[in-house]
Amino acid sequence: MNTALKNIRRSPYQAFAAIFVVSITLFIVGIFSLVTIASQSILLNFETKPQIIAYLKDGHTTDQVASLISNVTVNSGVKKAVYVSKQEALELYKKSVGNDPVLLGTVTDWGIVTADILPASIEITATSPDAFKSIASILEKSDIVSATPQGKKEIDFPEDVISELTKWTNAVRMAGLVLVIALSVACVLTIMIIISMKITSRRMEISTMKLLGAKNFFIIKPYLQESMIYGFIGALFGWVMCLIALLYSTPFLAPRLNGVIVFPIKYEIYLILLGILLSIGLLISFFSSLFATARFVKRSK
Amino acid sequence: MIDFAHVTKSYPNGDIVVDDLDLSISPGEFVVITGKSGAGKTTIGRLLIRDLLPTKGTITIDGEDLTKLKAKNIPMLRRKIGVVFQDFKIIPDKTVGENIAIALEIAGFDNKKINAKVDRLLDMVGIPGKANLFPVQLAGGEIQRAAIARAIACDPPILFADEPTGNLDKDTSIEIFKLLQKINSDGTTVIMATHDVTLIDLNKARHIHIEKGKIISDSDKKPKSDKSSEVPESQKDSEKDPEPKRNHKYSHKDK
Repeated sequence: MNTALKNIRRSPYQAFAAIFVVSITLFIVGIFSLVTIASQSILLNFETKPQIIAYLKDGHTTDQVASLISNVTVNSGVKKAVYVSKQEALELYKKSVGNDPVLLGTVTDWGIVTADILPASIEITATSPDAFKSIASILEKSDIVSATPQGKKEIDFPEDVISELTKWTNAVRMAGLVLVIALSVACVLTIMIIISMKITSRRMEISTMKLLGAKNFFIIKPYLQESMIYGFIGALFGWVMCLIALLYSTPFLAPRLNGVIVFPIKYEIYLILLGILLSIGLLISFFSSLFATARFVKRSK
Repeated sequence: MIDFAHVTKSYPNGDIVVDDLDLSISPGEFVVITGKSGAGKTTIGRLLIRDLLPTKGTITIDGEDLTKLKAKNIPMLRRKIGVVFQDFKIIPDKTVGENIAIALEIAGFDNKKINAKVDRLLDMVGIPGKANLFPVQLAGGEIQRAAIARAIACDPPILFADEPTGNLDKDTSIEIFKLLQKINSDGTTVIMATHDVTLIDLNKARHIHIEKGKIISDSDKKPKSDKSSEVPESQKDSEKDPEPKRNHKYSHKDK
């Protein structure tokens, strides 16, 4: 270990370059891991919300509603089907618009929004987006589901939102993965070059050590240790950068992701992130130096 | 017993540096190999530590054929043969102490023992208190002594000293020679290669003269078969010495 630390002290700029690249790589890894987890939570949130809303004609009877719900729930893809009355629809509307006087109609000539102008509905939660089509076909056959003047049944079918969101999430993940792979390769190459340069510059010492009876592992051990120190310190810096980025963006994210992700993030999540980044940092640095030293071992046979 | 049997070493360009060499060295012997530069002295040392493989012939140490030695066993062989290199091979950016310590670290000694042993070795070779100096701060004779200290650090049963008096003044050369004799008197087989015999009292050693890779003369006149019964001068002395001697076993498989 002393030799490894001495090697770092002797070439601080090389050490800085290695630690910098590892830090940036692991910062990006950390950020994309968090983004992936967040997007997964957002997607899950959308998927667990009522996915199909069928608006009902005025004048429907409770028997008709019960019959429709029973028809729908027979379908194995239905998790939950709930009747929302006109009054409940009004409450939901008020809740969603808050105290906005324009949207509540208190300051317009159109009059105050009342329960009468809002339709009753049935909100259905599917077990998976695959069940949407069969559920929709049942609803379309029902007489109590209202229709547009063109004859199209009024069924909100947010499949597109989910598929769009899934598409975006996958795109972000893919972009993150490509970036992480590119940075990891840059990281591996940087450490490999630094370690190879160090081995080359100490060729005379290494050949003397071999003549004195040193085994290959004895010779390469300080270089492996040195590289793993880069990985360790780089991972710590990367983690600190993630922490700062997350704390800095919390005031912006908290209101936007309210109900989806709990802010402030639990400290356990930070510790798990630290563990992951340290593991990746140590693995990357270990294998980089192993590649570099393996070339030396191969050459020195 | 070190045994070179019909050993030839040639290079792809056709240069023959060792030519059909037959040589046996008994444990505890002090052997001086002389010859001009390029006669093959250094090559003998390099063959001995498996830094080179012979083109023909076999080299055995205690019956173990070095030409058949597996690569993984070479480090163990080298730990049993101390070498004082012609160019010292003292690492310039390590202190004298660190240069000696590295041989002990390689052999697996722990740090506490290493520090104590380095001090003892420096005392033994006559440069006490120089552990923290860098090679550039030492005189030629002192570097040579540091190189000897490193070579004998692990108490090897064999010591090969390649031109240990090269470029040294007369007095220092004699001191180095005496130091090697002292090491030999402790039971170590010493093989010293030199091109300059004027400063050495050859009566106290077996003298082999080589030219163009061939043995021209060997002061050990006795037939090969009698050698095993011969007790070298150094060993005769050692029998009188109540101090425990170095282990004569050469085997490199005991670790």
